[in-house]
This record gives sequence, C-alpha cells and structure tokens, in this order.
Amino acid sequence: MQIQYKPKRTWLATIFQVEILRGMALTLKRLFSRPITRQYPEEKPQIKIGFRGQHALVRDPATGLTKCVGCMRCAMVCPSRCIRIRSHKEKEQWNRRLIDDYRIEALRCVYCGYCVEVCPVNAIVLTEVFEYGAYDRQSIFFNMEQLLTNWDRFAAQMDRPVADYVNPFWRPRGLAEHTLPVGKRLAVAPEWSGEQQVVGRNWRQHHQPEPSCKEDVDV
Amino acid sequence: MHIIIILIEILALFALVMLHVAYATYFERKIIGHMQVRLGPMRVGWHGLLQPIADGIKSFFKEDIIPAGADRPTFVAAPIICLVAMLTSLAVLPFAKGWVLADIDIGLLFIFAMSSLASYGVVLAGWASNSKFSFLGGLRSMAQVISYEIAMGLSLVGVMLLSGSLNLSRIVEAQGDSILGMYLLPQCLGFFVFFISMLAETNRVPFDLPEAETELVSGYCTEYSGMRYAIFFMAEYIGMMVMASIGTICFLGGWNGPFAVPFFPPLWFVLKVYLFLFLFIWIRATLPRYRYDQLMDLGWKLLIPLALVNLVLTACLKAMIG
Repeated sequence: MQIQYKPKRTWLATIFQVEILRGMALTLKRLFSRPITRQYPEEKPQIKIGFRGQHALVRDPATGLTKCVGCMRCAMVCPSRCIRIRSHKEKEQWNRRLIDDYRIEALRCVYCGYCVEVCPVNAIVLTEVFEYGAYDRQSIFFNMEQLLTNWDRFAAQMDRPVADYVNPFWRPRGLAEHTLPVGKRLAVAPEWSGEQQVVGRNWRQHHQPEPSCKEDVDV
Repeated sequence: MHIIIILIEILALFALVMLHVAYATYFERKIIGHMQVRLGPMRVGWHGLLQPIADGIKSFFKEDIIPAGADRPTFVAAPIICLVAMLTSLAVLPFAKGWVLADIDIGLLFIFAMSSLASYGVVLAGWASNSKFSFLGGLRSMAQVISYEIAMGLSLVGVMLLSGSLNLSRIVEAQGDSILGMYLLPQCLGFFVFFISMLAETNRVPFDLPEAETELVSGYCTEYSGMRYAIFFMAEYIGMMVMASIGTICFLGGWNGPFAVPFFPPLWFVLKVYLFLFLFIWIRATLPRYRYDQLMDLGWKLLIPLALVNLVLTACLKAMIG
C-alpha cells in the first residue's frame, strides 16, 4: 500500500500557496464570529441534570441524621481513596451500624460520582454547588457535620422537590432493575434508566447545546 | 534652539512609538483571541483597554533577576543594544512629506545596518545568559538573520534601481501619488521576497525559531525577567513597526493616498503600517512554525534566487525603458 502524505498540487497552487491562503481565510472568518468565552463570575454556567459538584450527606428527615448505613461500598469504590468512614455497631437494639464520622478529602476527590452510584440508600450525593474554594484546607476536608451542613445549605436554595435530587438516576451501570438495591429503583425518566442511559458521547445527540454556545460554532 | 526642537520631536516620536508598542500588544491579543473564538483581555478597563498599561507597570516593578553564571555586563547590555538599534532606525523613516527626523541619503542602508545590529543584541543575550536554551536561540537568530538579510537586501535593490535613490523620502516621491505608481505592481516579486524576509527578520511566526517556546522555552530571552524582558519585547514590536514602515515606504507608496488629508498628513502612512501589523498578527494566528532546515531551504534556495531574478529583470526593464 502506498500512503500519500501530501496531496498533489498543481504548479499554480504551489505558487500561490493555496493551503496557507485557505488557512488565513478560515482565521479571518473566525475573527468575525461570536466568541464562545463565558465571562465567568458575571455569567454563570447553566447547570445540567447530573452535575457533580460539592459533596453532601443527605440528612434523613425522620431522624435528622445521615442515611448512611456504613456498608463501606463508597470507600471501596472510590478511585482516589478519599472517603474515610468510622462506625460502630449498636449492640442493644437493632444491631445496626452507627456512623461516628464520615470524611471526604475534597481536594483528592476526582468527582467521578462512583460513590453516589454505588450507595444503596442514596446517602451521599454530589450537589450542584461548585463554588466552594477556601483559603484553608481544613474547610475543604469535609467531616460528617460539614457534609450534612452542605446538604442543608443546598436543599434550602433548591427550587425543585428535595426527594427528586436524591439521585435515583445515578446507579451502577449495566445492571438489571431488579438486581439494584431498593433505594436505586426509584422511578426516573427513561433516558436515565438502564440501557437508554445517556452517558459519554451519546450525550451530544440527545441534548441541544447551551444557548450561549449555539450560534456560529458549526464545527 | 534648533537642537531643542529636534529633542522635542524625538521625545514626541519616542512617546508615540511606545504607546503604539503597548497597544500593539493589546491589538495582537485581541485579534488572536477573536480568531480563536475567544475574547482576549476583558478585565482591566473597558474590554481590557488598560491591559497594556497594567502589564507595563507590572513588568516595571518586577524583580530583576540576573543568573549567577551569566556574563553580567553583556547580559545587561544585550536588551539595550536591541532597543537602541530599533529606536535609531525610527529616525530615518519619513512619516509624511517633511515629517522625518533625519532625512539622510542612505536611509535604506541605515535601516539595514540597524536591523543587523539589533540581532547582535539577540546573539549576545543568548551567549551571556549561560543557558542552553538561550544559546540555541541566539545561534538560530544569527543564522536566520544572516540568511534573510541577504534576500531582503536584494529584494529592495529593485526598488533602489527604480527610484534611483536610497533616501526614503525620495523613494516615496518617485512612486507618485497614484495607485499605479506604487512599486507593489512592478516589484511584485520583490515584494513577495521582502514580505517573507520581513517576517523572518522580526522573528515572527512562522519564523520565530529564536524564541520557539515549544522547544527552547523562550529562546534567547529565557533568562530575562521583568523590565529587561519587556525591553526585548519592545524591541521586537518596534522592529515590526520599522519593517512595516519600510514595506509601506518602498512598496505601498508611503504617505500618498487616494486623497490628501488636511490636518494629519501621515494618515495614509499610519493606516498602511496598521495593515502590515494586522497581517503580522493574522499570520501569527494562522501558521505553525517552520522547521529549521525548511527555514534555511526557503531562505537560500528560494528567496535569494528569486530576489536575484527580480533584480536582473528590473535592471533589464530599466535599461530598456529609461
């Protein structure tokens, strides 16, 4: 097989360097197109469903404590090993696990969302808050109190019902509905369940681009 | 009295050129930004208009670092050589009829001399920094300037032949004030060679090998910081403007335009220079860098023969007609 790296040119094309001229025409055209830059602090990004932001532990309205049962699945699945859970067994009554502390080192987190997918009781969520920079590390190494407060703060400013946000659509991929834990079987829109779940590349086909980047970007 | 007037003129020119240098950087960042579908500087002032001033203040107050192994006097002198050589060549440029600081008869030669001198600054900077990157940058600059100086000189010999003078004002006058009089048409080959060697002389993309940031960190100015780096920067931009002015004077008819402007005679000259600067930036936003051997090939095997052909043709034409 012969690979032709350079397409053949006529002598006229060689003299006038058509490739260079074509490139220059392209940049000139782009000069008059609308920039897609978002002026961030003034212009916030439009947050999509399934956004993975600040970590929070959902506060159980019944008990006022975390829903976490200490199964350690999140700590096991975490690729950056940033979750530490300390728990003890309640001997007297139910023989259940009580959480002493739940720590997330947010600086090590890669926001993969595996902990949310794997949690059988929907205890941990990633909220839509993304502006939580701080000047000291302590306030970004979340402990259980901070994680619960994160949830309270997020739930207070949310305009949708809170129950919907406790991500039923973040579930382990490729599992049949009946094999999922009960907490994960909540009803979701078809595009978020099972085979139709839109992830990765297919996202572009299912969602229109944001209005701010729609014009002029015909790439 | 005469000296004072000249001094005032020099100061005014210096201030104007420095302002132009500052805003050329802004212009460049904005245009490249928009060509890459970005916005460019937006924060300092309205649409980032005060950005060059902020940059100037910043580089002025930055720490001045001289590496321990550097050759101190040479290291200090190199950027100054660059800047002075570039600023000196501004003196002979005629901005309009009579708007010239030194109307000397060897203007074009003087500019060549000064632009070669500026490359000494680059070479010395590369040598004095005592760093591999700087040294390689300096060497490349030397090789590049030598090979492109010849092509550039030869391409302008055609202009000298047609106008019969080395005085820049007289070159402009020889072109007359009609579009057909411009040397762009009879010297189109010369203009082509001149334009490419102009890019190479000013170390601009696609010939920015002396400061190729992808391979040589920052080339000859790797070890420079703060104000000294800013001086190199200014020298580069003044070099661009000088080369743009030479192109305007020798090929585009200098200050002559479609109609005379009453209060500001250099208007057409300035507009043509801006056009050249835009071209510089446009090319920078589009083209990738040449490889070193391609650069040498282009210079020695294409541009110099072309310039010689142009020279012979022009001479024959001149002999037949005039």
